[in-house]
Amino acid sequence: MTMNAPRLLRRSRPAGTVSGGAVPGGAPRPDAGPPPGVRVRDLTVVYKTPLGELPALGGVSLTIDPGTITGIVGESGSGKSTLALSLLNAVQPPGRIAGGSVEVDGLGDVLKLKGDELRGARGRHLGYVFQAAQNSLNPLKTVGKQLLDLGRSHGVDDLAALVRDARALLERMGLDGARVLDSHQHELSGGMRQRVGIMLALVLNARLAILDEPTTALDMITQATILRIVREVHKERGLTTLMVTHDIGVAAEVTDRLAVMYGGRVVEHGPTMDVLGAPSHPYTQGLIRAIPRLSGDPAEARALPGRPPTLGTLPTQGCVFRERCPLRMEVCETSAPLPVRREERTVACHAREPYASAAGRGEHA
Amino acid sequence: MISGTGITKTYRQRGNVLGGRDVRALRGVDFSIPKGGAVSFIGESGCGKTTLGRIIAGLETYESGEIVIDGTPMSSLRPKRREAEFRKIQLIHQDPYSALNPTRTIHQTLEAPLALRARRTGRPSSWVDDRAEELLSLVGIDPGYVLGRYPHQLSGGMRQRVVIARALTVDPEMLVADESVSMIDVSMRLSVLALLKDLRERLGVSVLFITHDIATARYIGDEGELYVLYRGQVVERGLTESVISGPVHPYTQSLLSAIPVLHGLERPGRERVVPTEALDERHADSGCLFARRCPFRTERCTAELPELMRVEEPPIGGLAPLPEAPGAAPHEHACFHPVRRSVIPEEAA
Repeated sequence: MTMNAPRLLRRSRPAGTVSGGAVPGGAPRPDAGPPPGVRVRDLTVVYKTPLGELPALGGVSLTIDPGTITGIVGESGSGKSTLALSLLNAVQPPGRIAGGSVEVDGLGDVLKLKGDELRGARGRHLGYVFQAAQNSLNPLKTVGKQLLDLGRSHGVDDLAALVRDARALLERMGLDGARVLDSHQHELSGGMRQRVGIMLALVLNARLAILDEPTTALDMITQATILRIVREVHKERGLTTLMVTHDIGVAAEVTDRLAVMYGGRVVEHGPTMDVLGAPSHPYTQGLIRAIPRLSGDPAEARALPGRPPTLGTLPTQGCVFRERCPLRMEVCETSAPLPVRREERTVACHAREPYASAAGRGEHA
Repeated sequence: MISGTGITKTYRQRGNVLGGRDVRALRGVDFSIPKGGAVSFIGESGCGKTTLGRIIAGLETYESGEIVIDGTPMSSLRPKRREAEFRKIQLIHQDPYSALNPTRTIHQTLEAPLALRARRTGRPSSWVDDRAEELLSLVGIDPGYVLGRYPHQLSGGMRQRVVIARALTVDPEMLVADESVSMIDVSMRLSVLALLKDLRERLGVSVLFITHDIATARYIGDEGELYVLYRGQVVERGLTESVISGPVHPYTQSLLSAIPVLHGLERPGRERVVPTEALDERHADSGCLFARRCPFRTERCTAELPELMRVEEPPIGGLAPLPEAPGAAPHEHACFHPVRRSVIPEEAA
């Protein structure tokens, strides 16, 4: 099987060298349709623990419009990575998807897919860039060989074309495609590995890209470059992109829409500019005030009191944020607030029902 | 007061299939950290900031240069005495998860250094427990809650506070905090920074803050100084607010321009530069170390190596310099073409 790997990788090289910088690496293939939309409904994921099954996601509903870049932000334990894995139907034991649906245009309900169907969907429809692209590559194989493995496992007939596409994508991201395909992971820098991760996620022409903490552990300048590439590739290939991050700044820099998660729930969702400019949920407000910033009075920044809940400390009834909430009311103890949509913004908070869209402006202007 | 002059350090790599090479981690760095002061070292990974921090904490050797602690040059001391001097400087590790022994309770972790100290100074053994509780209260955690617990039972923020409490057991003059908030959740990051600021103010401990996230350097207190390191050289230094609001060196400008803009809350800086990614730095450079990445380079930059010089008066680039505090280090840079640029995000209207 692997006998012809070096030949395939070598054969593709002159072609790319001749076409030079004019490789249309950013463009999707002609058969690509419009970018897919995603509808997550009542998604519940539980983890088995010595204390019984505990919910990591407690009935999340989220609509992702086709062609947008949506940021999913939250602290550790907010359920953001679990949500991202659920979109691939890839939650591993001791986790279990207990209910709900994930509808992706052109695929149907991902949670109903099994076996070969599911394997085919991952890669061809759903591209996943792993949290530690630093560590998600095989240290024993060159990037090119891993690419061929990927092609074979997805039944790609024209492996030479796959290699050409991969080279074009890498070159689009500012790398020397031939050199990178010939390299082992230890020969690549963090920023280069992250780009290899993006290439492997998109090379089979996936149209829904899910990036899990794509810039964690990268330097500031490398981070800025990766974020620019994500934005450009998103546009050129006509993707729907989801970016999971703990860093609101990273999300602010690239996304159109922002979903803020806390304790396994989406507490606020709306256009990024609006959510940052006038946050409505008290958690979003607190989180934004807690960001160390370059401008403004340092004395105005405040840490949120308390700490994020873990699976074990998550309240079983009422609002998950009430322990740290300045607007806590009696009703918050007993009933979980439902997401309420007003125009472009969805907020789940008793104190904001019906919420005033300019509530946070005074404090943050 | 802790200062250093001309510190150099080279990591020698033995040859392998890729060929051996020496990595010049520090190329003659001068610094000075006043008593009770706050100094931040910033730069990308590989710029030498961590190596310098470890040298200052006495955990790493250096080839040439001199470190002076409270007027005593370290090279003049015998190893035993030198060790005692360096104990005044305590390092706080980046990763609060691996910095604590998982098989010891917090009480045991704090007890060991305190018991040693009690023996040396002839204090009664009851002092150990009292002091442990006192230190935990000082770093803002409830001793009753944490003393009997193991590290894995605590959150990242709490562990980092325990690490700080342990550093305080030897009554240090300075804490070296190496990326010590980067692994803590955003909502609690400021509280650890506020703690460092508080320790400065209440105990007069100076803080050396090492980070790649410049924004956090603003939060460890007033009159902080910033050193920007690039490939083992200080390329800019000055009061934190002065460097952030009017950076002169193109590398500092790139670093500041790379910080994400909170759109909706902020506008990008007017003179934001497009940062160039790190290049393969294996081959030797003549001239300015940043020249190959610099958008403003000229012929002179590739021929000559610029040294640190003062930001000239009248102000360059049309921006008025911030008033300098008396006695504070002046704003200096190592660039032949210094222009103050306003690159950081501005508050949106």
